[in-house]
Amino acid sequence: MMPTWLRDSRLLLHAPLFIAIWLLLSRLNVMVEPLMSYYLALAAMYATAMFGMVILVGLSGQVSLGNGALMAVGGYVFAVTSLNWQTVPLLGFQWNAVWSVIFAGFGGVVAGLIIGLLAARLRGPYLAGLTLGIAVGLPSIAARFPGILGGSQGLMLTVPYPDGGYAADVAGTAAAESDSAALDLALAGADPVPADAASGSSDMLTPSDVTGSGAPGDMLTADDVTGAGASPSAEPVPVPSASSISATPSGTVTDAGFVLEQWQASVSIAVACIAGFVALNLVRGRQGRVWKAVRDDPIAAALAGISPAASKVSAFVVSSLFAALAGAVFAQILTYVGPGAYGVALSLSLLVGVVLGGRGSLVGAVIGAVLLVGMPVVVSNLAGERGWSDQITNNLPTFLYGLLLVVVVLVAPGGVMGLLASGWRRLTTRR
Amino acid sequence: MTTFIDYLLGGFSSGAVIALFALALVLVWRSTRIVNFAQVGQAMFTTFIAFEVQQATGSWFLALLAGLVAGAVLGLIVYALVLRPVQRLDTSGSIIATFGVLISLQALAAMIWGGDPHSFPTPVANEGLEIGGRIWPISWYDVLVYAVTAVLVVALTLLFTRTNLGLSMRASAFNPEVAKLSGIRVNRMLAFGWALAGVVGAVAGVLIAPTASLSPNSFDILLIFAFTAAVVGGLDSLIGAVAFGIGTGLVLALVTGYGEAGDAPIIVLILLAVTLVVRPGGAFGRGKSRAV
Repeated sequence: MMPTWLRDSRLLLHAPLFIAIWLLLSRLNVMVEPLMSYYLALAAMYATAMFGMVILVGLSGQVSLGNGALMAVGGYVFAVTSLNWQTVPLLGFQWNAVWSVIFAGFGGVVAGLIIGLLAARLRGPYLAGLTLGIAVGLPSIAARFPGILGGSQGLMLTVPYPDGGYAADVAGTAAAESDSAALDLALAGADPVPADAASGSSDMLTPSDVTGSGAPGDMLTADDVTGAGASPSAEPVPVPSASSISATPSGTVTDAGFVLEQWQASVSIAVACIAGFVALNLVRGRQGRVWKAVRDDPIAAALAGISPAASKVSAFVVSSLFAALAGAVFAQILTYVGPGAYGVALSLSLLVGVVLGGRGSLVGAVIGAVLLVGMPVVVSNLAGERGWSDQITNNLPTFLYGLLLVVVVLVAPGGVMGLLASGWRRLTTRR
Repeated sequence: MTTFIDYLLGGFSSGAVIALFALALVLVWRSTRIVNFAQVGQAMFTTFIAFEVQQATGSWFLALLAGLVAGAVLGLIVYALVLRPVQRLDTSGSIIATFGVLISLQALAAMIWGGDPHSFPTPVANEGLEIGGRIWPISWYDVLVYAVTAVLVVALTLLFTRTNLGLSMRASAFNPEVAKLSGIRVNRMLAFGWALAGVVGAVAGVLIAPTASLSPNSFDILLIFAFTAAVVGGLDSLIGAVAFGIGTGLVLALVTGYGEAGDAPIIVLILLAVTLVVRPGGAFGRGKSRAV
């Protein structure tokens, strides 16, 4: 006898699928050059967060703009635990990065529960407004705690390397980085008044203080983040947070075996595969039907014995879990956490990715993730050919995202996956 | 005690501008039942246009006028291109579309004018007035802000309560079908509502630009504040939006005065969350029964 949960979850069917995807991507990761690994890491990170968005926005029908802030929760839990804890509390095991990721996920669940309980009562614009407020307000909490959370400067991290297996210069950079992190912390500790508080003395609201980083008008594009990634001749990035982000070790790109970007990508891929597996089981299983039922007709769902409130809260908790995991991975990719990195732009780009890919589709989330990472790369290549200025190049992807968002909502609400599905239907019905 | 009064007086000026943004949100909500999350983006864009006019002509009042016209035109464009088709779709669609407009306007502004903050001049002195041997945190510019806000609020109230146009607009928003049957051109009324909101937003943008610097993202936080004010005021009520806009400004002034500037969004977030939990339809909204 097969237990119901096993039959429902289609564990037997989905597990080999995701193991195959994981093996394929891991193989790809070591075959390509570090810059591609870096893009792979980013795309897998976006996909992880967007699996949660698919469940929340697509299946449960709650438009959330706060998932970037939930990623911040994951990122900060990851950073603070991996910087401060040597052993696992209560359990007493030796600390390592996996524990930090687990705790980040736990933090995400707690945050998602709180926000979900608030949000389940709200509809449409009220929910969007509240989550937008969370996207703006939550990261600025970090600025309030310059000590443990690094204030508005953020915290520098070292990527937790596994023992052995790395080129010597990787270790060298790591050491240099941990020095700079210590310096940063010392600075933050010595100066109780962060820069923004000092400038916030005018009677007017100072939005620039609050948004902190706000790369003007642009989303967190791969360009900002790469900075030094794999091109040693990286152009200076205009934003303070982005310049600290660009402190990603540039000396690590060597041909000696497993490089930093590949390690980051392998972590990111593993997390994305686990998240995707869980998400697919939830979406295809009973819970997925519950979410859809409540989205389509809450009254009918309630009559059928489903609690609409519980359904909405659970969607928030699951999406928050995925967001926090993605946030922890993001912290590793940037080797940095800070209010600027997890700003409103990140939340909006998650929404863009999910809408472009197809609101209710996990495959659509992957397509959206690839689009989010790919678009800036394509635009910057074009810009190189056409000789556009940085001002254009840095903002054009965001402009296109906004435009696409409108066009997709008006013309193809199902996104890329919706178009593919209707194209497929047309092909098959003609015959 | 004097510092407390100083903070409060300082808060009035920012509160007036928040009130105007909240008014713009309410105008759009009243006409189309959509929260226009692109409103501050539109205001930012028209303020840049006003800035260009100011640089070219040197006249602040011409700049304000240009901002007004641009605000109305941009409001109409957004309504015609994006929102009118979206009305056929679900709520999620219209929310996402307004964010699409917001993102692309911000990126467009950054492509044209760059991301660096521009300083917008004031037509009158922006230094604290000295009355009775003491410098108060109110300048002639603040007085101008109050005056413009008051004129706008009174004009809008008169428009809605004393004119046929206002009555038609209220009818179109309240019940489009019946309004159409009584000979009101409903779509024209809705478009007028959007244009009006664009104008109010543009005024708010030009007024806030000298004190907050002008950059593609500098109004983002105002969206949260204005949304909070509009929601707490009930989204339907002009007076509510104004009252709670000014109230939000006062709260923010006290928070930033006694605490840190960075706390402002958290306090506003708490205010918003508490309001929504206690009254999911807004604190002073007409209670509408909810199914679930």
